[in-house]
Amino acid sequence: MSMTQEEIEALMNDTAIEDKVEPADDNIDDILAGIDGIVDDEPSSDEEINIDDMLAGIDGIVESEEESTSDDMDDILAGIDGIVDDGSSEDQVDDMDDILAGIDGVTDSEPKKEIKKESPPADTLEDKIDQGIFPLPSSNEHKIVNQLNQVAEDSEEKASQIFDVLSFILDENEKVESALNKNSKFIESQVELLTKLATKFPNIQLLQDNLNEANELKNTCSNTRNVVAEENNKIFEAMEIMQYHDINRQKIERVMSVIKKLTTYLNGIFEDDSKKPEVQIAKHISGDSHNTVENEDLDDLIAEFGK
Amino acid sequence: MKILIVDDSSTMRRIIGNVVGQLGVSKEDFDEAEDGVVAWKLLQENKYDVILTDWNMPNMNGLELVKHIRGEGSAHRGTPTVMITTEGGKSEVITALKAGVNNYIVKPFNAQTLKEKLDPFFR
Repeated sequence: MSMTQEEIEALMNDTAIEDKVEPADDNIDDILAGIDGIVDDEPSSDEEINIDDMLAGIDGIVESEEESTSDDMDDILAGIDGIVDDGSSEDQVDDMDDILAGIDGVTDSEPKKEIKKESPPADTLEDKIDQGIFPLPSSNEHKIVNQLNQVAEDSEEKASQIFDVLSFILDENEKVESALNKNSKFIESQVELLTKLATKFPNIQLLQDNLNEANELKNTCSNTRNVVAEENNKIFEAMEIMQYHDINRQKIERVMSVIKKLTTYLNGIFEDDSKKPEVQIAKHISGDSHNTVENEDLDDLIAEFGK
Repeated sequence: MKILIVDDSSTMRRIIGNVVGQLGVSKEDFDEAEDGVVAWKLLQENKYDVILTDWNMPNMNGLELVKHIRGEGSAHRGTPTVMITTEGGKSEVITALKAGVNNYIVKPFNAQTLKEKLDPFFR
């Protein structure tokens, strides 16, 4: 079953909310709201700070916002014997090299380029579609049968236009052939006449020259007629090949038919005719990969609220 | 010689018309129909010497058209009918022949094949 645009947008909104980094005390509110007997009495800001401290003390809860900084690197270097960083002068850079040379495993080489971490997936609709999180919206442009139907219709129209062009060339070639035939007849009569004259007056070179020229023209006409005939044959071949347009269209229609039947089948198999109202589903169930609270964490949270 | 060409593809109708034209039939002497319904309507109004029909068409397919043509009371029971189709299965050919087609051409065909198959009806 395809999703409607509204369903996709609703899905997007839910996910967008989940993706946001929510304050820890909001999560606590949600968790506590699900536990019987706990009443939300709107804890004061002091209590919220305590909760944050407590959460910081619980193993496994890591604040993702914290990133290693250059200060951490300074701390590490400070832990190595002999390295004193008072940040006073550049001369100490040379000393630093000496010291580093004395540390096992440190070799004199170009500093390694920092490996860039993959940027976290963006939150735009296009990105999520590219990542396969969301399907393409079921607009007309993305409905498979619609698109296939459009391809079939468009190609039919274009094939007809191509046929118009080929027919035009055939018609024009017919005119060329007609003109060639007319010219050929005249040239043949001229050749006949000039042949007789050249035979009767062999001393007149002009007659012989014209006869030769007329014969050349006759050959040219014949050759041109052959070229046009060959061209016509190629156009007929092209027209025959255009049958594949019809064959391919029928293949597309067969695919469309399969998709339509599959849609009907899937609609039938997923159809719920029980007429029961939609049940409310759990958001986070034990065993889920994220957003579930362990027993210890739960006890701590309950204790934090003095319950 | 008057011919009826029935095919839902305008390109195919033109291709067939072109070959028929090469056999000496002028454009005025053949009619076109895009499905069996239109063809049957034309058959009620005109008499044809040969009917060339596709199989897979909307509204009324070629096989149904042939059955109409060969049906009792039809004025075209004796009109030569040739099926020109992409259906190349043996069972389809047998079905069409049983329905009453006189010849069967599988697409794609070349002009020579069509000429040879139509030649007996042009004599």
